[in-house]
Amino acid sequence: MKLYFLLIFLLLSFVQKAQVQIEFCLFSDSVIHTPFKINETDSLTKFKFYISHLEVKGENKHVSEKQHYLLDFHENGSASRIISLNNVDTSSILEIEFLLGVDHKTCNEGIGEGALDPINGMYWTWQSGYINFKMEGVSDNSTAKQNKFQLHLGGFRKPYSSTQKINLTLEKETSEIKICFDLNKFLNGVNLKNQHTIMSPSKESVSLSKLAKTCFYVN
Amino acid sequence: MSIKSSFLLGGTFLVFSFYWFTDFHRAPIYYIPKPHYKLPVNPQKNDTVQLGRMLFYDNILSANNEVSCASCHNSYNAFAHTDHELSHGIYDSTGNRNAPALFNLAWQKEFMWDGAVHHIEAQALAPLHDPRELGSSIEELLIKLKSSSFYRTQFFKVFGDSIINSKRILKSLSAFELSLVSFNSKYDRIKQGQEVFTEQEKQGYLLFQNHCNRCHTEPLFSNFEYLDNGLPIDPFLQDYGRFLITNVENDKFKFKVPSLRNLSYTFPYMHDGRFDKLRKVLAHYGDIDVHSRVTDVKSIPLSFNEQSDLISFLLTLNDESFVFNKEHAFPNRLKEELIKK
Ligand code: HEC
Ligand code: HEC
Repeated sequence: MKLYFLLIFLLLSFVQKAQVQIEFCLFSDSVIHTPFKINETDSLTKFKFYISHLEVKGENKHVSEKQHYLLDFHENGSASRIISLNNVDTSSILEIEFLLGVDHKTCNEGIGEGALDPINGMYWTWQSGYINFKMEGVSDNSTAKQNKFQLHLGGFRKPYSSTQKINLTLEKETSEIKICFDLNKFLNGVNLKNQHTIMSPSKESVSLSKLAKTCFYVN
Repeated sequence: MSIKSSFLLGGTFLVFSFYWFTDFHRAPIYYIPKPHYKLPVNPQKNDTVQLGRMLFYDNILSANNEVSCASCHNSYNAFAHTDHELSHGIYDSTGNRNAPALFNLAWQKEFMWDGAVHHIEAQALAPLHDPRELGSSIEELLIKLKSSSFYRTQFFKVFGDSIINSKRILKSLSAFELSLVSFNSKYDRIKQGQEVFTEQEKQGYLLFQNHCNRCHTEPLFSNFEYLDNGLPIDPFLQDYGRFLITNVENDKFKFKVPSLRNLSYTFPYMHDGRFDKLRKVLAHYGDIDVHSRVTDVKSIPLSFNEQSDLISFLLTLNDESFVFNKEHAFPNRLKEELIKK
């Protein structure tokens, strides 16, 4: 019996598995200054979001990760965040899929640790639930005080469930995937005149989450 | 029966009885439904519960170290608050709702008058961060607890290492709250065949079953739904209840149905504490304005004697042993620690 397990173990360790790096970035420029200038009129003071259930899919096989990652683009002043998946057969990755936000089950389980710890400022306290996507900044288009805007998108209870599934195809097989978030496209899609302050699960939160979904692309 | 099959049967029986004894979702009494959250086992000796109890009573939770959870949730009032209609927090600030009683929380899925909180572990974040309640934050609390050698020791005792994080704080607090179980009223003893209703209480029970049980459903005395019991809106507070959470027009004026256990200790009543006497509550139910909006209950006019009967039944839901349970009061360990300082 013991020998049998040993054999399986040895076999498994001989199968060639490698690491896949998934880089999330804003633009190709990887340095970011606070407040981060996007263009002449818009700058960001905060930008972070959750990524979960990363899945890389090959021809027949796929590898998935249940973990939640909080990508904070102001931490260390860098515009890119790298997630590594270990033990992946990298030969034929053609597709990548992930959730933008925290999954429903995790939300229902109460309070998490690590990336999901409420000290990360990604938890609503007066009405419980995770903020999936937080963007704050200053824009000439905002009619709020000091031209500020605060977009806190989230909510998991019907009818305002805002977590999005994103599916991207890769043009060539690679073990280094680079996914970008198109900030300009996102901000052009937000009507900062009326939508400068979103702080709770709502219709706006859902529609802007859907907009955010369309802003990811493979570089 | 062969020896083999009787072994099998015996084995299955053993496994099942083991499961039964360790099924933490098991209700404490046969007529009580399964709780939604796990009840802490043996609360008096349960270190997590005891840590939660200390946090619940400790002013360290507020920004100015003067207010605790217990300031608004007093054990002698079944953890409600009776001095104020609306909650009274840090720097004498006033909130916009009445602090509800805390007991049998394990049977509720969602919390707050409007269900704003979907999980017991998340609940404490609300008062902690509310500038009109504890006025602090989880970040601030973490810093304070980490610099307290007393709490480092307590966390070590519970978790086996001295890591203090949000999850552990919130888990402990909720363990204490879940341990607040109240099923020892006269009503419960009658259910268990140990006592009987007086004639008046029996009349009241019939009235209750006809008019109130639909929403204040036995044996928890709530169905935990969000409903409109016809209270006219307070023009100053403008509190639309469940609507604030769902934004659904139909949810305006709806609030979570509260339990009717321990009413003698939990006045004033309703989400804004507008009634201080049960007579006034019944007067309201007798005169609901159904012309201004569609409510979930129509007027229930009762004679003065019927009201007395109904109230005498409601008083059988008081659980004195719960209210005076020393195990729920200010913890000695914390008292000693505060004296030392
Ligand atoms: C300033 C007074 C105040 C303080 C301090 C306070 N609470 Fe409350 N509590 C309230 C009020 C008011 C509500 C109802 C809130 C609502 O419905 O919006 C409430 C609701 C609750 C509920 C929900 C009960 C239910 O049946 O839905 C729980 C549980 C609770 N509080 C626990 C706590 C804990 C734990 C603390 C300490 C961390 C605390 N409270 C501190 C006033 C207070
Ligand atoms: C349609 C459902 C419904 C019916 C029927 C109903 N209630 Fe209520 N009751 C509620 C709701 C909802 C609340 C909370 C309302 C609020 O605070 O805005 C409430 C609150 C109360 C309270 C206040 C409890 C507290 O802790 O603040 C009492 C007492 C009460 N009801 C007694 C009764 C009695 C007695 C009857 C029968 C004569 C009755 N209710 C019938 C839904 C109902």
